[in-house]
Amino acid sequence: MAGEKEKVVAAAGGCCLRPFSCEQGLLSRPDGSAAFLQGDTSVLAGLYGPAEVKGSKELPDRAVLEVLLRPKVGLPGVIERSREQLLRQTCEAVVLGVLHPRTAITLVLQVLSDAGSLLSCCINAACMGLLDAGLPLSSLFCGVTCALDPNGAIILDPTTRQEQEARAILTFAIDSPERKVLMTTTKGSCSVEEGPCFPP
Amino acid sequence: MTRSARASSPSSRPAMKATPLSNCERRFLLRAIEERKRLDGRQCYDYRNVRVSFGADRGCCIVELGKTRVLAQVSCELVPPKLNRPTEGILFFNLELSPMAAPGFEPGRQTELLVKLNRLIERCLRNSKCIDTESLCVVAGEKVWQIRLDLHLLNHDGNIIDAASIAGIVALCHFRRPDVSVQGEEVTVFTPEERDPVPLSIHHMPICVSFAFFQQGTYLVVDPSEREERVMDGLLVIAMNKHREICTIQSSGGIMLVKDQVLRCSKITAVKVAEITELIQKALENDRKVRKEGGKFGFAESIPNQKITTFKMESAAVDTNNVEEQAEEIITKADPPSEVFAKPILHTPGTAQIGEGIENSWGDLEESEREEAVEEEGESEATAFEVQKMETEDTSTLREAEKDEPIVLSDSEEEEVIILEPQELPTKARPQANLKQENTSKKAFNKRRRKKRAVR
Amino acid sequence: MATAFKMVEPLEYYRRFLKENCRPDGRELGEFRATTVNIGSITTADGSALVKLGNTTVVCGVKAELAAPAVDSANKGYIVPNVELPSLCSTKFRSGPPGEEAQAASQFIADVIENSQIIAKEDLCIANGKLAWVLYCDIICLDYDGNILDASAFALLAALKNVQLPSVTINEETGLSEVNLKQKNPLVIRKHPVATSFAIFDDTLLIVDPTAEEEDLASGTVTVVTDEEGRLCSVHKPGGSPLTGDKLQDCITRAITRHKEVKKLIDKVIKSIKPK
Repeated sequence: MAGEKEKVVAAAGGCCLRPFSCEQGLLSRPDGSAAFLQGDTSVLAGLYGPAEVKGSKELPDRAVLEVLLRPKVGLPGVIERSREQLLRQTCEAVVLGVLHPRTAITLVLQVLSDAGSLLSCCINAACMGLLDAGLPLSSLFCGVTCALDPNGAIILDPTTRQEQEARAILTFAIDSPERKVLMTTTKGSCSVEEGPCFPP
Repeated sequence: MTRSARASSPSSRPAMKATPLSNCERRFLLRAIEERKRLDGRQCYDYRNVRVSFGADRGCCIVELGKTRVLAQVSCELVPPKLNRPTEGILFFNLELSPMAAPGFEPGRQTELLVKLNRLIERCLRNSKCIDTESLCVVAGEKVWQIRLDLHLLNHDGNIIDAASIAGIVALCHFRRPDVSVQGEEVTVFTPEERDPVPLSIHHMPICVSFAFFQQGTYLVVDPSEREERVMDGLLVIAMNKHREICTIQSSGGIMLVKDQVLRCSKITAVKVAEITELIQKALENDRKVRKEGGKFGFAESIPNQKITTFKMESAAVDTNNVEEQAEEIITKADPPSEVFAKPILHTPGTAQIGEGIENSWGDLEESEREEAVEEEGESEATAFEVQKMETEDTSTLREAEKDEPIVLSDSEEEEVIILEPQELPTKARPQANLKQENTSKKAFNKRRRKKRAVR
Repeated sequence: MATAFKMVEPLEYYRRFLKENCRPDGRELGEFRATTVNIGSITTADGSALVKLGNTTVVCGVKAELAAPAVDSANKGYIVPNVELPSLCSTKFRSGPPGEEAQAASQFIADVIENSQIIAKEDLCIANGKLAWVLYCDIICLDYDGNILDASAFALLAALKNVQLPSVTINEETGLSEVNLKQKNPLVIRKHPVATSFAIFDDTLLIVDPTAEEEDLASGTVTVVTDEEGRLCSVHKPGGSPLTGDKLQDCITRAITRHKEVKKLIDKVIKSIKPK
């Protein structure tokens, strides 16, 4: 059995996703919740809304989407804020907010453990959370992190160690109907030829 | 490393108010308590189920108390000690009420509840001296370990303090700090591969047990749920270890308790603490065994198998052989980078410009700047102006012809001319200034004329 | 009439223009606004540059300070970028602590520095484990008219090219550092990353160098950063409408062309102030 699996891995050019699992509706208070685990990386998502908006953020034509990313240790900093922006705009592209004008949707993501590919795990948790809350969505999306190792080979869903060794790390969010790219962000530099490696 | 790491002001965040409890719901809850019934079917002295699961990292755990959930993570850092205690390590506790836990919680806001809870955690874990701080000293007066405990409330269903205190002590017991060695002034920190990390020395495990009182203390309930907390009159929290030593005791809500009640509560606490301590030790032992045997551990293992809302996938191979071909295909299909690019125009030493599209609306300012510059070193640029002057003539005639229409779209392939606000040029002013103005407009014009390079 | 139409139906107003392959400000879809750079604009800074991209104006000042390097990277100095979007540059921003956009921009610039290796941090080290340069790169927006990322990245590059650091030696007897203000050396710039931003209109149309108005109406943005070898230092697409791989490749191609233009510009400016 194990040998067979190795064969599959070898045939795929060493690319392999870690085992992943997901649990939805595990929290009682939020309107939607999901835990997403990729290997030892795990993120918990809780979502409230559409609900009343306080203050000046109210939009007359659509719902306000707010994403909060909570690190496990310490207070959220600049990295969290910039990831919140990435996640928010990714969700905004998919959530049909026009159906709930003048409301707020709050998505809170809590990092439970980080063992590499954290951002893609956040994206997946966010999508599962939106699904669990039953919000109207135009499509689903998933997050994938790819790393290019020093030899130029592609590693999917890298662990922390693989991320440290990698020459470049690319994270994509891909939508379900046409597999278009919703979000990308990169770390490290790579040539154009290596750039658009879109996983199936 | 960026300097703007300050969190944005909490008041700017929208927050949803907690839904108030209706009068009839309140009356219903109170009536039920008077009849010694609880909404979830428990008896008055029953504690909800406690479940402890460990993360893959050391010092990380989630404690579930019924539906209340708390995440705990311990971390450590080498820091200089406090001046008045040079031989003691530093302990830092922080409980966060994540906005995920309940709709009323705002991120980063210090509410009264939060301050009260943090204070209780401090008294329970620090003031009880359950952690040996002297063992955290590396070099007296120079370097000590700072142990930081972060607690996050993930789901609020009442009795946060008990769940947080259990999660806190479990995480501290589970944590291992890196081993260090001191040789002279040199401090070496060993990685987990070099030397096994060491556990903290913990003398005892204080655990909080909460009691809610109703009707001025007539009725008492152990481990109140969120609904019960809303209608209670007062709360008594007792922290105790398994040796039946009371570590802290706090009564809040302004109710008067008779001595017997407090004694009765402390007896109940002793029973509950014994049960919980046993559970914690079993959980820690289990985790230790699994890690030793090289089995699977981490949150993934704590996900229930037989549940309709869960899904598990074994590690899956992905075929990436065709990715490079796909990428190549995309690249070959796309147009190669265009070789046409702008010539930079040097205004003065240190200022240059390239442009394709419109001039900015600061044009006036630019010109006056340039005028000054030219006066300073007119000769160097004089030749350039002469060349440009020849071209300006046809530009200005065109311009005059189109003065009336604000936007002109030329049909010709080669020259797509769009002119906005043609009235901006006062044609015959000083000859010197005029020259320069035309020069600018010519430049803008020239750029518009450049080969179309729209990305479609 | 046109202004009323624009006010009532801004998106439709734009679509009419885009159908004809042009924009209300007269540009084609693939055209940048005029880019002006002035270096050495701030005399008190160790290096500075002012960049104008149409109306968008960004000034970057680099301040060098001495500090002890971090324990785990004893041979490295620091580069600390910070993007400020003060309330004066647009009605969009309020005074007070930096908002999400400013923080996201700061992180983007920090990522560009890290990814492109614009400066080898080892070059900033003076004495191993003892003394290193800290470069505080403050990027302040003076006029916000869209495409802040391109302008900021360019301003940073131009300012770093302009930095002159005094030579520092460590006196072996006293162990103190001695700064020689008379002898100044420029920084070694290893790579020249240039950012190119696109706005996505109606999920399909890509327009280069969006103005603030266009950014508001667009359904997403993409920023591609390339260096002189045509390598990708960053492909940043913070959500928004989905794009196919072909479209992204178009963006990359356009970014490479833009890099050549900007590189020429910066070379010319730097050459112009070099003492003969």
